[in-house]
Amino acid sequence: MSWVLAAYAVTAVALLGYMLHLRAARSAALRDLERGG
Amino acid sequence: MTPQSFAVVVSVVAGVAWLLWLTSKFDSRIATARWPGALALALVPLWLALVVYYAPLEEAQGIFQKIFYVHIPAIIPMYTGFALCAVGGALYLRTRDERWDHLAVASAEVGVLFCTLMLVVGPIWAKPVWGHWWVWDLRLTSTLMLWFIYVAYLFLRTFAFGSDTARTFTAVYGIAGTAAIPFVYYAVKIAAGSTMHPSNPASESGGLPPEMGRTVAIGMVAFIWIFAWLVAKRLELASLQARALVASRIGSA
Repeated sequence: MSWVLAAYAVTAVALLGYMLHLRAARSAALRDLERGG
Repeated sequence: MTPQSFAVVVSVVAGVAWLLWLTSKFDSRIATARWPGALALALVPLWLALVVYYAPLEEAQGIFQKIFYVHIPAIIPMYTGFALCAVGGALYLRTRDERWDHLAVASAEVGVLFCTLMLVVGPIWAKPVWGHWWVWDLRLTSTLMLWFIYVAYLFLRTFAFGSDTARTFTAVYGIAGTAAIPFVYYAVKIAAGSTMHPSNPASESGGLPPEMGRTVAIGMVAFIWIFAWLVAKRLELASLQARALVASRIGSA
């Protein structure tokens, strides 16, 4: 059972982690845009 | 073609068509990205419920076979991402429009994410079933090579950000990289019995019990729309970064 949970947990962490990374990078890009503009 | 396969094919075609439509007039169409996101959010709980309550336990592997429902759905977004990277690269070479270059990078990055998931989840399944985390057979090794090809693509992009030469070179590289896809897909047939990896799930799914087939198909459709949504969000980021770069150049001039 723990192998199965590990597989699903890894998937959830990877997808959520990537979404959070995109959100953080978007905020940083918006800040850069405000500074540059 | 079974109804499950039909649903998966329709989702792939619709997802790719939507991404191309979105990229062609990105600024006025990015608001539509909420729909793939909403669809994926609705499908994920359904898929998980089917995995837990609906799909039967497989006789030989028992509970470990449940990993099948998360390993297999990652395949289509991986291949779609790498194929779209080539399409974006080709359209960039033809039009020199930066938006197609953004599509190529976004697709490659999300494709690598799903390829990484396959390469991590696969060994978690293999260890209790095969007794090994990894075997250097043709399917696993060629998938690892595919992962390296597109990780190298992303490194190239990172180190040469904003350069037109880098865009042109990586567009050609992305197109050439797709040559590895058929090799990986048919690796099991090429290996002809010398591999421990099961044959291609697309051709195998017809032999699955209907409950398993429906569960994995819902998982595939959910992952396709997660992929489309992530590519759209990555496209938005690339567009913002490009605008920030232009603004900083104007500001410093």
